[in-house]
Parts: sequence; structure tokens; C-alpha cells
Amino acid sequence: MNETVVDCRDRSTREINREIRGLIAGGCLQIRVTEPEARHNLGVALLHPASVHFEGSVGYYCAGMSDQAHVEVSGSAGWGLAECMLGGSVVVRGSAGSGAAASIRGGTVVVHGDVGARAGCAMKGGTLIVGGNSGYMTGFMGQKGTIIVCGDAGAALGDSMYETEIYVGGSICELGNDAVIAEPTAQELADLHAALTQHGFHAGRHWKKVLSGRKLWNFDRTEALWREAL
Amino acid sequence: MCGIAGYLDRSGSGEAPVGSVLLRMLTALGDRGPDSAGVALFGEPSQSLVLRIKLGEVGDLASRAELVVARLGGEGIGAVQAERSGPYLRVALPPNTPLPAVTSAIESLTPPGSDAVELISAGRCLEIVKQVGSPADLESAYRISETCGTHGIGHTRLSTESRVDLSHSQPFWAHGVPDLAVVHNGHVTNYHRLRRIYEQRGIRFYTENDSEIIGIYLGLRLARGENLEEAMRASLTDLDGSFCYLAAMPGVLAFAKDPYCLKPLVVAETQGWVAVATEEVALRQALGHHFRASEPPGRTLRVWETTMPLLAAA
Repeated sequence: MNETVVDCRDRSTREINREIRGLIAGGCLQIRVTEPEARHNLGVALLHPASVHFEGSVGYYCAGMSDQAHVEVSGSAGWGLAECMLGGSVVVRGSAGSGAAASIRGGTVVVHGDVGARAGCAMKGGTLIVGGNSGYMTGFMGQKGTIIVCGDAGAALGDSMYETEIYVGGSICELGNDAVIAEPTAQELADLHAALTQHGFHAGRHWKKVLSGRKLWNFDRTEALWREAL
Repeated sequence: MCGIAGYLDRSGSGEAPVGSVLLRMLTALGDRGPDSAGVALFGEPSQSLVLRIKLGEVGDLASRAELVVARLGGEGIGAVQAERSGPYLRVALPPNTPLPAVTSAIESLTPPGSDAVELISAGRCLEIVKQVGSPADLESAYRISETCGTHGIGHTRLSTESRVDLSHSQPFWAHGVPDLAVVHNGHVTNYHRLRRIYEQRGIRFYTENDSEIIGIYLGLRLARGENLEEAMRASLTDLDGSFCYLAAMPGVLAFAKDPYCLKPLVVAETQGWVAVATEEVALRQALGHHFRASEPPGRTLRVWETTMPLLAAA
């Protein structure tokens, strides 16, 4: 398949994104972006099934609001990786900053290294796979979707979640408010292993599943705090 | 939102292009802080105690410079060298000159306020230059890219709660502590409480910028006998709010990051150097591609030292 190269040097972010989108609209399905130099907002709102490979690191919000595209980053990514993504996939070979896969509705985000704080916060679907460790408050207020952390999870894991499910292969520093640990079923483990194997991760760990305890879902006037206040 | 950057040449030879690396990093971080820019540059220990004094923002600065030198002389503090550059007077004094006497002589010249004569930095290794404007403006005014040294820290400021002028710009020298400088990105939310406590103990503040309190906090703990790492570790608990800050002393560069990861910071290390910046784009534009960079987790601090011991001399 023909590959087209987009060079970021001496060009504005808007020019780079316009060229990427123009190439995809013209039928180009394989794009290699060189010298991204960790600049922000690259490859946002890509709405067609093309493959875009960033050679190097990207800054904030890379692949945000995208759908159907496959984005690969050979370096690391800044804050808000794939934020609000609807579908498609994003693979980062290095690490990602805070807010990776925040508010995604679908698709898969894979980070081979570590992710920063609030990874997968307010997810409404999709899957986030982290090869390394995840930071503070991973999964905060997650509504749906799955987060898989192969390494260790930071403090306040799964705080105030709705129905996001988190699987952790390493240690858990501390559970967040209303997060509870459950034993994964055989089917869930099989799905987990399939997802990890597909992305080249070793799946042989003792996995812990973290989900909402559902105590924060509804107002409870019998709770001690409210008994005093009301 | 502000941008902070730090660079340390591990060899400590004093010949690293610290000024030009910091300038490139600050230029990349210019969008995070268009209000002001500044650097704290560290070199090998000078034979003098070097002061950088803000003469004022407006008015007859040449006369004020003469007044400063005369006042120091009147207090028996003879300047080895005095040189004016824009709003700054750079004064070299004998190395053992007592800093409190210098400070009180300078502060007696004008009433406290936005256009007061103010000691911006003091030390044998440290010099701070900062001003309102962009990193490019800082470069054209002071040619910081031509400065070599051991390490340095820099800042681009977006003002949120205090005024935009030279004094409120960063880096901040930890007033009264030679050769200690700090840059901060974030908001110290217990600033007013801490400030009230410190002011009751007689400590003077020179600005209304919450970032100023970090240098004062560290300086007080160092005075109690703690080392920089111990002082910074305590700050992770004692400071509330969002912060990533860098602190620098002779031969030492360090950062601390708040427990909630509310502010970004990216770190890169090679055998030859250490670089820290708010965004990776600064590291890439200043230092290229041939290294890995990563964001440390919250409640983290790191302290790096040059291999050449400088502390004893400072």
C-alpha cells in the first residue's frame, strides 16, 4: 500500500492537520508523519479508516475526537491522548501523560508504557490498555468501557465510577471512593487474555477486577452524614 | 498555566550552554505564559557575592544606581564592581559580605511597593534575569543564550492572581538565602494562611505572587538544618493546591510534583544532562530526539547533583 509522508517541520499545526485530512479524503490510507516534535493537537478529528503513524512524540490531545482511524505514535504522548474518541484505535509505544483515553465512547487506546493521572476518566465505552503503570485516579467517574493495567495502579483507583470495569495485573496502591475488588469470571479472563494477546502483551498474571460498589449511585438519606445534616 | 524548565549539565564544568538550552525551552513554552519570562542561571562560584538589584520600572534609573552604590558604601559595604543593564544593577561585593546588611541597606532606599528598589538575586553562583515580555524579549535585552554555566531554571508566566511586573515574574530568589531559586507552575491554595504565619514571625514578602512562598518555605527549612531534598519532601504535604516546582542551588537541580498530578511535568535524563519541562515539546525543540522523556507520577520529587562538588565553595 502506498504511504504518504507529511513533514511537520516549519509548518503550523493547522496546516499539518489539514494536509492529513486532505490526504485521507483523497483516498490515501497510509500516512507517515515525521518530526512531530511533541506538538499539540496533531491528528485530531480523523473520521475515516486510515492509518496515521507519528514518527516521534506527540503533545496534547493527539487523535482526539477521532473515529475509525488507526493512529500510532512511536514516541510518547502528552495529556488528553485520544480524548473523546468515538472509535478506531490509538497505539503509543512510549508513555502517555494525564487524561489518556478520557471520555472515549468507543475504540481501543493502547499505551505500551505508563499513563499519568486520571487515565480513562469519564469513559463512556471502548478499551484502554496500559502496558506499564497507571497514575492517580485512573478510571475516575467512568461510565462504561474497560481499562486494563498490566502494571501497578496508582492511588484512588476507580473513584466514583458507574459501570467502567478495571483489570489490574500488578498492585493497587489504593482504591477510590466506592470502588470494590471482585473476582473476574472465566469468560472475562478469556476476553482479557484475547485483548492483551492481540496487542502483543503477556497476559499471565493474577488479575484483579475493580468495579463500582454502587453506593454512590443514589442519594441515601440514611447515611450518617445526611442524618445529621437534614 | 505557566511554563517551567530546568537544565543541568551533570559534569558541572561550568561550560555548558545553559542559557541557550533554557532559551529554546522557554521559547517552546511561550504560549503557556505570555506575560513574562525569566531565568536563574548558575555557574561556577564567583570570587564575589553577586547581587542583581531591580532599580525600578520607570524613572531615572541611572541616579538610582548611583544611590544604591552610595548607600552600600555608606554602610561600609564597598562594591568591587557595579554595572547597570536596563532596570538592573549588577553589583559584585567581597564574598564574605553579610547579606542582611546588604538587604537592609537596599531596602531602606525606597518604600515597599511596585517600583521599589529590590534585591532580585544574591549569591556566588546564581544570577536571575526576568522581565515582562516573551523569551525573545528577554534574549534581546540580556543575551541569555550566550551564558554558559552548570545549570539553570526558567519560567514563562501567565498571570492569574497578581500583577504583571518584573518583581512578580519568576524565577524567585529565596530572599535572604544565597544561591537558592525556584520556579513554579500552579497555585498554592494555602498561600494566604502560610503567609500570615510567616509574617507574624517577621518574614517579609516582596510580592503578592503565591509562588514566592515556596522559596521562603524552603529557605526556612534549610535554615533549620534540613537539606534540599528533606525540605522539598515536606513541601509535598505542607503546600496545598496544584504545583510543579523546580528548585536550584549550586550544583543541584530538583523538582517536586503535587500528589494530585494537577500540573504537567516531563523529565528526560541522559548520561550528560538532565532536563525538565512542563511540556515535552520544550525538551524536543531544545535537545532533539535521541532520548526518552516521561511524566513522573504525583507526589514525586527528584534531586540531581553535578558530579563536581560546588556546595562547599558557595
